[in-house]
Amino acid sequence: MTAEAPPAATRPARPRGSPWGIAALLVFAAITWWAASEEFGIGFDVIQLATNLTRGSQIIGEFFPPNWEYLPRTYGPMLETFKMAVIASALGCGIALFISFLASRVTTPNPPTYLVSRSVLNVIRALPDLLYALIFVAAVGVGPLPGILALFFFNVGVVVKLLSETIDGVDTGPIEAARATGANRTQTVRWAVVPQVLPNYVAYSLYVFELNIRASAVIGIVGAGGIGNNINTERRFFNYDNLSVILIEIFLFVVVIELISIWLRRRLV
Amino acid sequence: MTAVARAAPARPPRPSTRNRWLATTAVLALVVWAMATAEIDLERIASLPEGIGLLFYRMFLETGPEWSYLPDAVQGMLQSIQIAWIGTIIGAVISLPLGLLGARNVSGILGSNVMRQILNAIRAVPEVILAVVVFIPMVGIGGAASAYAGTLAIGVHSIGTLGKLTAEVVEGIDPGPVEAARAAGGNTVQEQRWGVIPQVMPDIIAFWLYRFEINIRASAILGVVGAGGIGTSLEQAMTFSRFPRAGVIIIVIIVATILVDTASGWLRRRIIEGGAGRVEEVEITGMSSPLRMDGDAG
Amino acid sequence: MIRLENASVVYPGGVVALKNLSLEIHDGELMVIVGLSGAGKSTLIRAINGLVPLTDGDILIDDVSVREASPRALRELRSRIGMIFQTFNLVKRTTVLNNVLMGRLHSAGTLRSLVGMYRPEDVEIAMQALERVGIVEKAYVRAQNLSGGQQQRVGIARALAQQPKILLADEPVASLDPPTSHVVMRDLQRINRDLGITTIVNLHFLDLAKVYGERIIGLRAGELVYDGTAAQADENVFRDIYARSLTADDLMGEAASAAALPS
Repeated sequence: MTAEAPPAATRPARPRGSPWGIAALLVFAAITWWAASEEFGIGFDVIQLATNLTRGSQIIGEFFPPNWEYLPRTYGPMLETFKMAVIASALGCGIALFISFLASRVTTPNPPTYLVSRSVLNVIRALPDLLYALIFVAAVGVGPLPGILALFFFNVGVVVKLLSETIDGVDTGPIEAARATGANRTQTVRWAVVPQVLPNYVAYSLYVFELNIRASAVIGIVGAGGIGNNINTERRFFNYDNLSVILIEIFLFVVVIELISIWLRRRLV
Repeated sequence: MTAVARAAPARPPRPSTRNRWLATTAVLALVVWAMATAEIDLERIASLPEGIGLLFYRMFLETGPEWSYLPDAVQGMLQSIQIAWIGTIIGAVISLPLGLLGARNVSGILGSNVMRQILNAIRAVPEVILAVVVFIPMVGIGGAASAYAGTLAIGVHSIGTLGKLTAEVVEGIDPGPVEAARAAGGNTVQEQRWGVIPQVMPDIIAFWLYRFEINIRASAILGVVGAGGIGTSLEQAMTFSRFPRAGVIIIVIIVATILVDTASGWLRRRIIEGGAGRVEEVEITGMSSPLRMDGDAG
Repeated sequence: MIRLENASVVYPGGVVALKNLSLEIHDGELMVIVGLSGAGKSTLIRAINGLVPLTDGDILIDDVSVREASPRALRELRSRIGMIFQTFNLVKRTTVLNNVLMGRLHSAGTLRSLVGMYRPEDVEIAMQALERVGIVEKAYVRAQNLSGGQQQRVGIARALAQQPKILLADEPVASLDPPTSHVVMRDLQRINRDLGITTIVNLHFLDLAKVYGERIIGLRAGELVYDGTAAQADENVFRDIYARSLTADDLMGEAASAAALPS
């Protein structure tokens, strides 16, 4: 019996690029052109960039060598920066834990609470830390207090968003089991949900603390305490050698905090 | 049938929770110390509600927000968005090759570590400081120039963060397609282009979008120090105590940011089926699966 | 005694899960429910402790209505009903003992349980429950480090810690291999016999049902289609319940005939 060759399959037509993909690319290109153009946008000019870079490298040169004699004057402000970060993180993360349960689909007591929590959350998150600092300095004066308040709001925004979304994804099996034993809502949350999200909560809290360290160094620029004040002063006088000391200090500080946070993460969980 | 008596297994002793108590106490002690030694008058804390209430009243209630300033505020906000847009693109474009180089499976242990440290150094400097200390002096003062400085500050800082995340995603890929590219005779660049990039692009684009959301906020901040955008308007309004104007500006910032967040979040969710929570989670914990947090074996 | 009177459950999408079910379950009985997936077995079990609300009819546990119970009364009711699940539903990250102590939550009250300071009596009850299922030596091990069979035994211990009058088991062995399934089923049998706890079990494998069930009821499309002893339940009966011929998936096979406790 002769084997019959199968009928030649018709080659499928080459699929055209998805309309969504092409539309997205066009939109992207349009926005970029709009944003960069001289007329509507910021006037981003790559050629000018090159000229500026030469001036920039001059400035960078003035950073070295760092003026180490300036170092002792930074100890006080750095300490204040550190304390601001600690207080704001502790308060912020503490409150955020409870709000997160309200803002998660899984543990919220009723739909209105959920909607209100999430809306408030979005508004709080919309303002960056420095803007909160501006506002609070205007409200209560300069010093570390407005800084702590600003960071507090910032922290609540970040942690609640992250934690509530983590809670949204928990395994609901233990929750059902807890309900089946006759536990009430608080007990169920405490024993069926919290153990599942605790490692994440610790990670988010440490993350926010690191952000705070960096942020509290900066908000001093608007008068909210910490080493940002020094940055403001030194830059006005163009003391780049002092500024470089501050920058190195901040960098080292952040690195140390990151190492400690990794160590803590392992112990606490 | 007689039951055979068997010695019941002994109840195990309670394990020591000393380590955990140590760590928790240390943290609590730290917090208490910080609160106790912070130089803040109790009087000022007591006058908090009054101060905030008064400000809120002046901004939004006394004469209402200064709606006539709205067009200017919107324009300022648009400029901030533009700054964030271009800044993010700069960060994304440069961080892609740098991030690739920062991955152990691309550059080996030594090379990737070097690149990672460079990226860490870039990351450590907040945009504001970069702008204030480097770019503004570099570019000079003046309307267009200041926006420029802001863009560069955001761009450079983003290189650091995006580079780190890119490197981590690349390290987590499936080596199969890369080997296939190599086996078919491709060189290193082709290996990256066809083996690595297709796998990691969705995650990376999601990072870019998330970074854009963050950079919107950064760019609003940069205005405060003079790097263009709506921050400048807000800072001036506050300095001259024009609170109703500040009120309008704040409203514009909140609305614009929420809009950008929503659009970007929607886009991210469509790109990654895993859902919104994952992107931020990777950014913070450096892991894309909560399960990987269990470093301990037992 | 548990009495169902025309119990019906219609889910929001319109799916009828239970249709006019009337049934009496006596104290101390060991009852097995069989039926296809979607026949209403899970719904029935969950309706008994109110996890799934009835849309019509009622369920009375010792003359207390489940449907009319206030949230507080419902919790009180549930504290006397232990439940074990196909997927064990343990909190993986915490210790076996903490999981079992969940059974004491209702009696411990909110304040104590929030801080985790259980009374010594409660801890003692939990330990005894663990001893009864034979894994007390794992008390401080994290739940996720146990095998499937061990996890289910923790689940049973958690239910026992409630000192329940009724035990509900929703496909307790579906995730376990045959030998382990027998260990678990024998544990349930022993508990039922020694402690006199009314035990209601959903089972997927028909031959396993015959081995362990004193009384078997069959559900089909939410309705009660069979109610009798294991001896009376032969292949024809099962075919009736399933409305089709039996397949290999319905039977555990060779392993099903492993020794149960002598009747």
